[in-house]
Amino acid sequence: MLLSFSSAFTSCRQSVPNSTKSSSSVNVTDFRGVEITLPNPAKRIVCLIESALSGIYMLQAENQIIGISSGVYNESTFAQYAVLDERIKNKTLPAPGNWDFVNIESIVALRPDLVIIWASQTESIESIEKHGIPVYGVFLKSVNDVYKEIHDFGILTGRSQRADSLTNYTRNEINQLRSTINIEEIEKKNIYFMWTQGLLETAGTTSTVNELIELAGAKNSCTTSQEHVVINKERLLDWNPDIIVMWYNPLKSPEDIAKLSEIQHINAIKFNQVYELPSVFLCDLWTLKFPYAVKQLAKWCYPASTEGLNMNTEKQKMLVKLYGEKGEKLTK
Amino acid sequence: MEQLNNAITVSNLSFSYNGSVILNDLNIDIKPGKLTFILGQNGSGKSTFLKVIAGLLVSQKGVIKILGNASDNLNFTDRSKLTGFLNQHHKAIFPFSVEDVVLTGRAGFIRYVPKEADKTASYNAMSKAGVLHLRNRNYTELSGGEQQMVMIARLLAQNPQILLLDEPTTHLDISNQSHVLSLLKQLVSEGMTIVAVMHDPNLAFLYGDDFLFMKNRKIIRADESMQAWDTDFLKTIYEGNIQSIPFNGRALLVPYLN
Amino acid sequence: MNRRIIHLVFYILPLPVILASLFIGPSHTATLGSIMDLFLKNSDDSDLIKSIIFDVRLPRILLSFLVGGSLAISGCSIQAIFRNPLTDSYILGLSSGAAFGAALALAYAFLPVQLSAFIFGLMAVALSYFTARKNKNVSIVSLILSGIIVSGIFTALLTIVQFFSDPFKLQSIVHWTMGNLHNANWVKLRSSVIPITIGVFVIFVYRWRLNVLALGDDEAKTVGINPERDKIIILIAATLASSSAVAVAGIIGLYGLMVPHMIRMVTGPDNQKSIPLNFLFGGTFLLIIDDFSRTISSFEIPIGVFTMLLGAPFFIYLMKKTNIGWNS
Repeated sequence: MLLSFSSAFTSCRQSVPNSTKSSSSVNVTDFRGVEITLPNPAKRIVCLIESALSGIYMLQAENQIIGISSGVYNESTFAQYAVLDERIKNKTLPAPGNWDFVNIESIVALRPDLVIIWASQTESIESIEKHGIPVYGVFLKSVNDVYKEIHDFGILTGRSQRADSLTNYTRNEINQLRSTINIEEIEKKNIYFMWTQGLLETAGTTSTVNELIELAGAKNSCTTSQEHVVINKERLLDWNPDIIVMWYNPLKSPEDIAKLSEIQHINAIKFNQVYELPSVFLCDLWTLKFPYAVKQLAKWCYPASTEGLNMNTEKQKMLVKLYGEKGEKLTK
Repeated sequence: MEQLNNAITVSNLSFSYNGSVILNDLNIDIKPGKLTFILGQNGSGKSTFLKVIAGLLVSQKGVIKILGNASDNLNFTDRSKLTGFLNQHHKAIFPFSVEDVVLTGRAGFIRYVPKEADKTASYNAMSKAGVLHLRNRNYTELSGGEQQMVMIARLLAQNPQILLLDEPTTHLDISNQSHVLSLLKQLVSEGMTIVAVMHDPNLAFLYGDDFLFMKNRKIIRADESMQAWDTDFLKTIYEGNIQSIPFNGRALLVPYLN
Repeated sequence: MNRRIIHLVFYILPLPVILASLFIGPSHTATLGSIMDLFLKNSDDSDLIKSIIFDVRLPRILLSFLVGGSLAISGCSIQAIFRNPLTDSYILGLSSGAAFGAALALAYAFLPVQLSAFIFGLMAVALSYFTARKNKNVSIVSLILSGIIVSGIFTALLTIVQFFSDPFKLQSIVHWTMGNLHNANWVKLRSSVIPITIGVFVIFVYRWRLNVLALGDDEAKTVGINPERDKIIILIAATLASSSAVAVAGIIGLYGLMVPHMIRMVTGPDNQKSIPLNFLFGGTFLLIIDDFSRTISSFEIPIGVFTMLLGAPFFIYLMKKTNIGWNS
């Protein structure tokens, strides 16, 4: 009863702006190829993707957020989001779902004017749209997708200018780095990327990680064209990577990996080149923070040419640039 | 020595199941080297009595001595040397060969894996029971009668001193009935003690040496002065109209119509 | 005659298959040729090749063999003691119980993984058994029914453990519930070899007794066997072997059901003959299946997928082709 009433209510409300398109209406096409038109920039956004939420905070549109992913409360990034938003710190911001499970009823009850959700959550999207709520579906395969995402968010929140300036800043950072390490002339290092799930879980050529490795002037050991792939141990020995880079891992340290007897003949182990990316928040590959991870990779691969790069300074610079005043607090 | 007089002595035996009394204060001796039949109406507790003696059911009260050994003190292995038991129904799940089924009769002698001597014993047992020709067949594919003969062969392989048989002829056609009963007679003549629950009093009278009757949760032996096949006596056991007809010095029992 | 030859082949098979498996794998360095060269001359890659063979392939081969063998041998013994040809450690819920125990121990480290897997495996079996038991009687159908329910309960509990302990839930749930051998190493092998050996050895010792027990309790008692005691010993041994297998390789569903039936098609139902073959062929067959999985794809797919996709059609073929007496 209640549901059908509210859906009737929202759909009737939506039909108004379609007929009279005002100058303040905004329009983007999401990653599904679906066109989204809002009468005004969104004021009540439910964002069920942690990385996308980060993007909205970078745009300083936190007051337009009314719902977030439950992952924000549960995962290691909670401390940082608590700094960015008092409501998260006090746990008052509703979390009606995550990448896996979505409570449609809670979402409808929040009366959002936009829901941001992974494009792969097709069933949830269908249900939300049935209630007349516009949905922006996200699917990130590359750095360009990250740029597109923030660009669209700029439009949807009415903060295009800030979005463009942040994108430009990020592009610059990458270009600068690549000229520092003289990308044309170096002998490319071979990086094996290890996800938290285990030694044999890596990123294939169609992943953002792959792009990250290439941006750092290195090449990915894994040549399988998949996003996330479980490989056979002997492939790892075959590839003989120069460096093993671990995604943030609460279970195993680089020392643990270096001790594994079956991979002792790998160069990365022989020359003690196993590293772990610091925190998920800092290295979030699906946000404009990705240059930080790229720089870190470059520093591990090419210590000589990146000598001038101080990761601590880089961190501070980046956080302040991307998150403004609050970024200052994040550096502490 | 006690076992010279009695193969089995039962004193003050009572058994109840789920609160209802099935055997009430039984006292009976079973003679060695004889073919003893236990008769009585359906549901009179014949099978229960046999299972208690075989150690498959545990009585609440009373003492059973088997060849002088108190039944309570016997473990399964010791008991298997004294008594063997043939179940009324046996449902096999796995299609074991007849040979394998008979060989399991030797379990009491086998520590973990059967030896050559055990195989010889079961070969001889199959031969004696007349099922040697079936030895490579699947037990599950045999007829009820054939299965019964195989289980008897299994008992012979076990070679205990006393056989306890629960309705050994029930599933058999008439020629197999005579085959089984003749075999039992032969075993008794070789010194075996056999106690069998019988459904059919006529077969019992034709072949038996001693007869026990179950009635009202009690067990009775036909009185010295009366023959077991005496009509008056049988009328106290079986209800309804029956009459015995003299046959071969004994008698056959038939339903009698007014 | 024909059977006897197949019988013999099954006994000899493990050795050549294990040896051949050492030469099979996705590596482009450790190929058949390069391994052969190893015996002739020392090349730059010889250390790497040795490492691939002895630190990667050998532990995986041995682990696959042990896991396959122990699942099959416990499946066969469980079928005999429950007098139920439709069951195995998976259907009884034992595997799910063990997987839950192992995952719980991995997440919260309150007990050694193997021990926890064993305890919860045993608990699951007991639960299935006593749920199915009515008037001292356990029917074939009710045992399967209660096993499926218990299995469901423990799979749900496993999912909860993964949900709370692992940020990458789905992946690890798949590894637990579809089996995995790619993480095999000497450490895993060492942790499982003793419990599996004990369990397999006990079942092997009791192999002929299984025939007696399979005839029924009364039929066992009256020929001198204490069925309760023997069944408990065998059940503990089977639980030890299969829960250890689950603790290192996850749940490889229905493998323990399939292999004993395949073996019966060769040996007949006599457990004295079939128990050793269950271990040998169970190990060899899983190894062959894993060899396939290691050659046909460049990435790892849970082994349970292959046991089903390769094992099941083979099983169906055998079932159609041979008659072992289930029809009557």
